[in-house]
Amino acid sequence: MSRALYRAGIRPHLRWRELGLLAVVGVSLVVGWASLESFRTGELGLGNASLLTVYLIALALIHVAFVVTGRRMDEILFPTAAMLAGISLLLMNRLPQDLVTQSIAGRELPLGPLQLAWILVGFSLLAAIAIFVRSDGWLRRYKYTWAAAGIALLLLVFVFGDVVGGARLTLRIGPISGQPSELLKVILVVFLAGYLAENRALLASGSTRMRGFTLPPLPYLLPMLAMWGLALAIVIVQRDLGAALLYFLVFLALLYVATRRISYVVLGVLLFLAGGAVLYVLFTHVQDRINIWIDPFADPQGAGYQVIRALYAYGRGGILGTGLGAGLPSVGDVPSIPAIHTDFVFAALAEELGMLGALALLGLYLVIAQRGFRIAATAADDFRALLATGLTLVIVVQAAIIAGGNLRVLPLTGVTLPFISYGGSSLLVNGAVVGLLLALSDRAVEAPPPGARANVIRRAAQRARQVGGRVEEALS
Amino acid sequence: MSGPGGTPAPRGRRLALQQLRLHLRPRLRTRGAVPALPGGQPSSPPRVARSLLSLSLALAVAYAALAGGLAYWQVVQAQALTADPLNPLSLAAARAAPRGTIYDVNGVVLARNVRGPDGERLRQYDYPYTAPVIGYSSTVFGTAALERAYDAQLTGLVSLRPGDELLRKFRGQPYDPSDLHLSLDINLERIAVDLLGDQKGAVVAIEPATGRILALVSSPTYNPNRVVDPDGGRRYMASLQARDDSPLLDRATQGLYVPGSVFKIVTAIAGLGSGAISPQTTYPDQPAEYDAGFLVDGFRVHDFPRGVQTDHPLDFYEATEVSSNIWFAHAGLDIGAANLESWAVRLGFGARIPVDLPSSPSQITGGGGPLDGFRDRVELANAAYGQAEVLVTPLQMVLVAATIANNGVLMRPTLVDRLTASDGSVTPLEPQAWSQVCSYDTAQIIGDAMRLAVEGEYGRAFAGAAKVPGVPTAGKSGTAELGGDAAPHSWFIGYAPADAPRIAVAVIVEGGGAGAQRAVPLAGRLMSAYLGVQR
Repeated sequence: MSRALYRAGIRPHLRWRELGLLAVVGVSLVVGWASLESFRTGELGLGNASLLTVYLIALALIHVAFVVTGRRMDEILFPTAAMLAGISLLLMNRLPQDLVTQSIAGRELPLGPLQLAWILVGFSLLAAIAIFVRSDGWLRRYKYTWAAAGIALLLLVFVFGDVVGGARLTLRIGPISGQPSELLKVILVVFLAGYLAENRALLASGSTRMRGFTLPPLPYLLPMLAMWGLALAIVIVQRDLGAALLYFLVFLALLYVATRRISYVVLGVLLFLAGGAVLYVLFTHVQDRINIWIDPFADPQGAGYQVIRALYAYGRGGILGTGLGAGLPSVGDVPSIPAIHTDFVFAALAEELGMLGALALLGLYLVIAQRGFRIAATAADDFRALLATGLTLVIVVQAAIIAGGNLRVLPLTGVTLPFISYGGSSLLVNGAVVGLLLALSDRAVEAPPPGARANVIRRAAQRARQVGGRVEEALS
Repeated sequence: MSGPGGTPAPRGRRLALQQLRLHLRPRLRTRGAVPALPGGQPSSPPRVARSLLSLSLALAVAYAALAGGLAYWQVVQAQALTADPLNPLSLAAARAAPRGTIYDVNGVVLARNVRGPDGERLRQYDYPYTAPVIGYSSTVFGTAALERAYDAQLTGLVSLRPGDELLRKFRGQPYDPSDLHLSLDINLERIAVDLLGDQKGAVVAIEPATGRILALVSSPTYNPNRVVDPDGGRRYMASLQARDDSPLLDRATQGLYVPGSVFKIVTAIAGLGSGAISPQTTYPDQPAEYDAGFLVDGFRVHDFPRGVQTDHPLDFYEATEVSSNIWFAHAGLDIGAANLESWAVRLGFGARIPVDLPSSPSQITGGGGPLDGFRDRVELANAAYGQAEVLVTPLQMVLVAATIANNGVLMRPTLVDRLTASDGSVTPLEPQAWSQVCSYDTAQIIGDAMRLAVEGEYGRAFAGAAKVPGVPTAGKSGTAELGGDAAPHSWFIGYAPADAPRIAVAVIVEGGGAGAQRAVPLAGRLMSAYLGVQR
């Protein structure tokens, strides 16, 4: 068997660290499940643990697949994502099951099994990308095609999107519906990484200084304005403040990583604030969000209802939490927070796991950040570095935006908590993001030949220096 | 910062950056067993490490803010959020555990749990006239009064045992209901209710040295047992709301009344406390004005013809004893609006009184006028003897009497003596001084005048009926003119024994006529009963 694999060019590589961490994840989830079931039934036991069993088997299979194919990838990212999704499974299995039901292949699936199905699909995608992506050419070469696809997707949503919960987010094609804004964030990162990496060389020749103020050269100014316009358009047309904030923050972060110029970030933030102020004056849905944020108690039974209920959940959770299953996301069968499984999962977890549990949850996202930045710092070239940074940020920044909204640190927006919130689009896309990060961490994944690339850069830099020299002359 | 072609970084930072690179790069070299790129050496990693370091810092700040938010809501604000009356948690807790019992000062049960017809828990109130104090706890209408103020303790959402918030998750029963032990004396309460009968009004009795409320009656009131009744509750509540005599209003803490002459004690505190008047202050024109009236900017202040006018100008004691409006109008103008305002505020005017029941702030003027809120000197002169736009709650007035009784120290009014938990642990709520209103001497002077007002040669005619037989008694009656043909409110505030006060009272009978007619004898009987004196 092993000889056959060897002959086929497959050399298994053991991943002890990943195995150990997955064991920790498995034990934690079993304990969590037991705690939940014991609370529910009043006696110690696991109850019907088929969902958990399926999930743990899936984790084991993915690990084995990584080992057998001999991938030398990061060993910490996957267990971290597995922990997050496992917590999600516990929570979704514990919430009122009829919050969401969907019939698949003639069977009516309630919330818990449905979430497991999406997790499995998302993790399959993760594993497939991690194992089978052996080159990044398809991402770096066609950046404008990706950009065009992204814009097309956005226009489709603008025109054909369904309005759910006040936001035009959902695109429905036949029986399949999804939230393209989740996919769009990845496309955006791919485009920005390609674009900024290519233009990074140009900047090395210096920039245009005018009366002491460094204005971004056009290659940076134009995308900044475009991104700004895009974010505003998303707020106006889609009413999706969270996505707009996420896109713009990720763009500014990538711009900073590529140029290391804080002045660009300041300019971007000023643009954002100015745009935000105008939107606040013009659009009631923006005003509503801000007003609820500032004083939810102004309308406790109406607009501020969910935010106040979330605050109560924190208060009840305290430091150690109520314990899994003992929280009150629902009184009887009525969820006390309607969006408990999507926008307010963080509040639900903070109630049942307490402040310590919620801090641990935030810690898991920081682990993803550390691993992602590490992959970026050791990447073979600019494109990969920027891509890894951007992919990391879409998970970590998005988690901060929704957790901040739950905690009244930021206005509440309707983005998902990666790997935890219920929802197929989110799980699929975040699975793909982690899969890509894993692929990028594998040094064996092929990048374009450096020689050709170096020549391109050298020639571009030379040209830029000539142009810059002429501008200098003209100005002096 | 240094761009790619800029100035070199300072030495310390360069060192840190080198360390970072050392941390990041060796792994590339040592682990790079697989030649990464076809046809060449691994290219040097792009210089993003420094940017990533800054980005990590920004991210750390953002996540620290989230952690701060968690700590704020889950530690700092946790108890306040849990005890919030809007929190649906109290409903869940009410289903999970029996609500705590409420006892009076002698251990008589005032509120307890019974099983309703369908086996659900219901609250039962054996003394329904305590409704203004106890309130109700209903699954339909929520909670009111003490049932509301101590909802979190009664349901056991907030625990008395230190550290219990952390440990409760490890117990089978997460709620630990506490019992309330009140300072209320149900015997005194019942006597006050009987004395008031079906008259509209309010009675508050308080222990001056501690601020413990001994009795608090508002009439008419409602029957809390009918409010919590699962069958007829809604209909009963609707009928209560439809009535025009406001049975749901706690008149003792929320009823705003014109005080009339009982307010003269506030004026006296302001005048003597600020030094604007002295006990010997006289107004030479006052005897003459008894007949003609005291002309203030075109308005005539009159004294009621009572046949107790003397030929000499009254001093403070005499003016209080005979309740001279003219004397106090003069005094009020001497004291001035600013002084009257600031001394009234010391007594609790102008703000909600910090008591466990909903309360309305009392006022000395409607405000907005040019004279420190007063429209003009006419309003000030009239306010000084408790007319114009002075509006007070009975609770505020009993605090005025209690302040004098307690030598100038105002105690915070309380209803709950202690809370007890199921494991027997007791949390006493100690008496708290609220403010030092006036000096010991000022309080003595006013106390002497109040004693004359009950026991003096002339005072007896007004408030003699308030005297507790054999016990020195101090007080002040009042007749609040409402204008037009409306019968005046009958008022009395006072305390006994005057030399070592054990009880202070405020009584108002709406439309009860002169103070002497209704409020004064009622207060006398109430204080006598409390002091165990037969009349």
